[in-house]
Amino acid sequence: MFACIWMTGWRDEVAAPQHALLEVAQRFSPRAAWIGRDTLVLDVAGLRRLFGEPCELGAELRRALADAGLETRIALAGTRTAARLLVRARAGLTITEAGDEAAALAALPITLLQHVLVPPQEAGQLPLDGTAAAPSPPSRFYRSSPVQEIVRPRRRSSGARSAAERAAAEWLATFRRWGLRTLGDLAALPPAELAARFGDAGPALQRLARGEDPEPLVPMAGDERFEETLPLDWPIEGLEPLSFVLARLFDPLCAQLDRRGRAAAVLHVELQLVTRECWARRLELPAPVNDPRTLRTLALLDLESSPPPAAIDAVTVRVDPTPARTLQFSLLERARPAPEQVATLTARLIALMGERRVGRPVLLDTHRPDAWRLEPFTGEDGHPAAPASEPSSGRPSGAALRRLRPPVPARVVVDAGRPAAVQVSGSDPIGGAVEQAAGPWRASGDWWAPGEAWDRDEWDVALDGGTVCRLVRDRRQDRWYLDGLYD
Amino acid sequence: MASAAARAALESLLRTRKLDTTLVGQDLPAIRLSPDRVLSTGAPALDSALGGGLPRGQVSEIAGPASSGRTALARALLASATGGGELAAIVDVFDRFDPAGAAGAGVCLDRLLWVRGESVWQDTPLALDPAWEPSRPGPRAARSRMGQAVNRAIKALSLVLSAGGFGLVVFDAADVPVRVLRQLPFTTWLRLQRAIEGSDTACVLLVREPIGRSPGGASVRLGSRTPAIRAVEQPADFHVRVQASRHPFVPGRPRVKPGRAGAAQWTGSPQARRFRGLAPLASVQCGIRTTSCELEFS
Repeated sequence: MFACIWMTGWRDEVAAPQHALLEVAQRFSPRAAWIGRDTLVLDVAGLRRLFGEPCELGAELRRALADAGLETRIALAGTRTAARLLVRARAGLTITEAGDEAAALAALPITLLQHVLVPPQEAGQLPLDGTAAAPSPPSRFYRSSPVQEIVRPRRRSSGARSAAERAAAEWLATFRRWGLRTLGDLAALPPAELAARFGDAGPALQRLARGEDPEPLVPMAGDERFEETLPLDWPIEGLEPLSFVLARLFDPLCAQLDRRGRAAAVLHVELQLVTRECWARRLELPAPVNDPRTLRTLALLDLESSPPPAAIDAVTVRVDPTPARTLQFSLLERARPAPEQVATLTARLIALMGERRVGRPVLLDTHRPDAWRLEPFTGEDGHPAAPASEPSSGRPSGAALRRLRPPVPARVVVDAGRPAAVQVSGSDPIGGAVEQAAGPWRASGDWWAPGEAWDRDEWDVALDGGTVCRLVRDRRQDRWYLDGLYD
Repeated sequence: MASAAARAALESLLRTRKLDTTLVGQDLPAIRLSPDRVLSTGAPALDSALGGGLPRGQVSEIAGPASSGRTALARALLASATGGGELAAIVDVFDRFDPAGAAGAGVCLDRLLWVRGESVWQDTPLALDPAWEPSRPGPRAARSRMGQAVNRAIKALSLVLSAGGFGLVVFDAADVPVRVLRQLPFTTWLRLQRAIEGSDTACVLLVREPIGRSPGGASVRLGSRTPAIRAVEQPADFHVRVQASRHPFVPGRPRVKPGRAGAAQWTGSPQARRFRGLAPLASVQCGIRTTSCELEFS
C-alpha cells in the first residue's frame, strides 16, 4: 500500500514545506521518495496494526499534515502509480483498496499519464493538442523506454527530459486521434496491437494505465546520523547521576532509530570532562539493539569498568545504525534469550570478570596446545540442532582434561626415559609413584616465528593415589610441567 | 488412620512447595520426570538412575575426587544441551576448561558461553623454579585470591542464571577446596535455585563433595574404581619420522603445519593411543533415594 501526497499549495520560493512534509511523512513510514518537488510517495505497507484500516490511516495522515499547516491531496492505493494518478485527479483523501487500482483509474482522463511519463520537474506544461510538439524519431523513443524515464527522472539530462516530453506528447496525441479519452480505454486495448505500433513502450503505457508499477519503490536515503548531546549545567561525578542523563539521551535517540527502522550496531559515548578532555568509549554490540534501557545499561557497565578520570561537563551519545532485526521464533526449538538480554548479560559479566574473560571459545587453526580465542557471545548460530534421538553408545566420549594455565612446574623422577615419580607442591600436593605411563607424544611448532616456538613431549601418567594427569617436558628448556589433570 | 491423614497432608504440602521429589516410601513408584523437564546426561544408565536425566529448574551436583570423571560427565551434559540446540554456559572458577577437548566430545562451542575465572593453583606458591617463583603470590595472598575468585564466580553464576534462556549452566568448582565452599553463606545455593525455579535451566555444580543440591535436584557422586586408567596403550617401538614441516616455508609450496603427536608423527605403533578414559562408579541421589550405576567414559 502506498500513499501519495501532493502539496497543492506549494510555491517555488518556499522551501520549508518540503521539510515539514517529510517530517510528517516519516512519522508514519521511513520509506519515502520524492516525485518532483511537491509530491511525496510513502510506503505505508504493514501499518494496519498501528493505524487501522487504510481509511483510518489516511485520515490520520491528513490530520497530521493539516496540523503542520500543509495544504495537500492524499491518495492511498495498492501501487505507487495508481496513487500518483489518483492524487492528481481527485481532491482531498482518496482511498483505493489493493487490487482495485485498474477499476479506480478506468474513468480518469488519459491526459493524467503525463504526470507519470514526464519527469516531475517539467510536469504540467505539456502541449496536449498534438500540434506543438515535434516528435523525435521513433527509434529514439523506443531506445529510452517510458519505464526507465519514470524510475530515474532526476538523473536525466535536459536533453533526455525534452525527449521524454516529446515522446509523451506524441503518445498522448496519438491516443487522442484514436479516440481514447480515459485510462480505461487504453487499458482495454489489445496489448499485442499496442506493441506492434509502439514497440515496448505500448505495453508499458498500458500497464501504467492499469496502475501497475514498473519497478519497486526506491526510498531515498535519509540522514542516517543518530546523535544526541546534552550539555550539563553542573559537572557531574559518578555513574548514578550519569544514568539519568543517559536515559534522557537514549529515549529520543531510540525513538528516532525506531522510526527509521534502524537499530544500533555500534555505540559511541563521548564525555566532555572538566579538564577539557574528551573521554570516548566505543561499544560494538553483538546484535542490533534499539532498546533505550539496554543501551543505557551497556553504556553504564562499560563506564563502570572504565570510569572517566574527572567530572563530566557534557554527554554525547552516537550510534552507527544498521537495519533492525526481525526475529522469527520457532515452535520446535526452545526459546533463546533475546540478543539484548545476551548483550546485557555479557556486559555485566565483563564488568565483573574483566576483559577477555567472557565469550564464546573459537578454536584456532594450529597444532599449538590450548590454542583458542574468545569471541563475543551472541547466542545465535547458524548450525542446526543435532538429531535429538541420536542413539547413544552409553559412553560419554573421552576423558576430559582440566588444563592448568599456565602449566605448573613439576618435579619428575625419570627412570629409563620414563617418568617414575612426580611431585607437584601445593597445599593439596599432587604426587606419588607412577603406576602407568603412556608417551611420549612429541609435538613442536611455530619454529619459524621468533619467540613463539614450542617443542614438547607429553606423557599421560596414572599416579598411585588415583590421579591421572598429563605431564609435559619442555624440550627447549628441559623442564617438566603439570599440564593438566584428567577428570 | 491419623498417621495416614498426616502423611497425606504432608505430601500435599510438599507438592504445593514443589518438594514432592523428596517423597519416598514403599508404596511410591520411582519418580520419572517428563522428558522435557530433564536434561539427558548422554549415558543411558545414569539417565535411568536419574529418572530420565538431570532435572531442569533445579540445582544438581556432580561430586567426586580428582580423576573421577566429573569433568567428562559435565562435558557430556554440555554436548547433550548444545547438540539439542540449546544454549549452555560454563562458569569456570579456576579457568580449567579445555575448549579443544570439549569440541572433540561434541560440544557446539558456538552455543557455549564460557566465563573464565582467575587461574589460581591451590593455596600455596610453588618453589621449584627460582625464576618462576617471584611471579607467584605468597600463601596468604593466594588464599585471598582463591576466595575472591570463588566469590566472583558465584556472582557470575547468579548473573547467568538470572538472565535465563540457557538450557544448562555448569559451575565448575571441581578444584575449589571444600572448606572454601563451606565458607559461603548457606543461602547462596538456595538463592541460585530460586533464580531458576520453574525455568528450563538445569544448573550443575562440579564439586569435590556434595554441598549445594536443591531439594528437587540430583547428586551424582563419582568414585574411582581401581585401576583408574583404562586402555593406556604404550607406543611400542616408535621412532620419530622426519616432519615435513621442518622445511622452511617457500612461497608457492603448500605450507605444512607440524603434525600433532600421534599417528602422524609416530610409526610402528598403529595402536598407539593416549589415555582413553575412566570407569567410575556413580552413586545417584534424588531426594533421599540413592541408587548406583556404573559409568564408562571411552
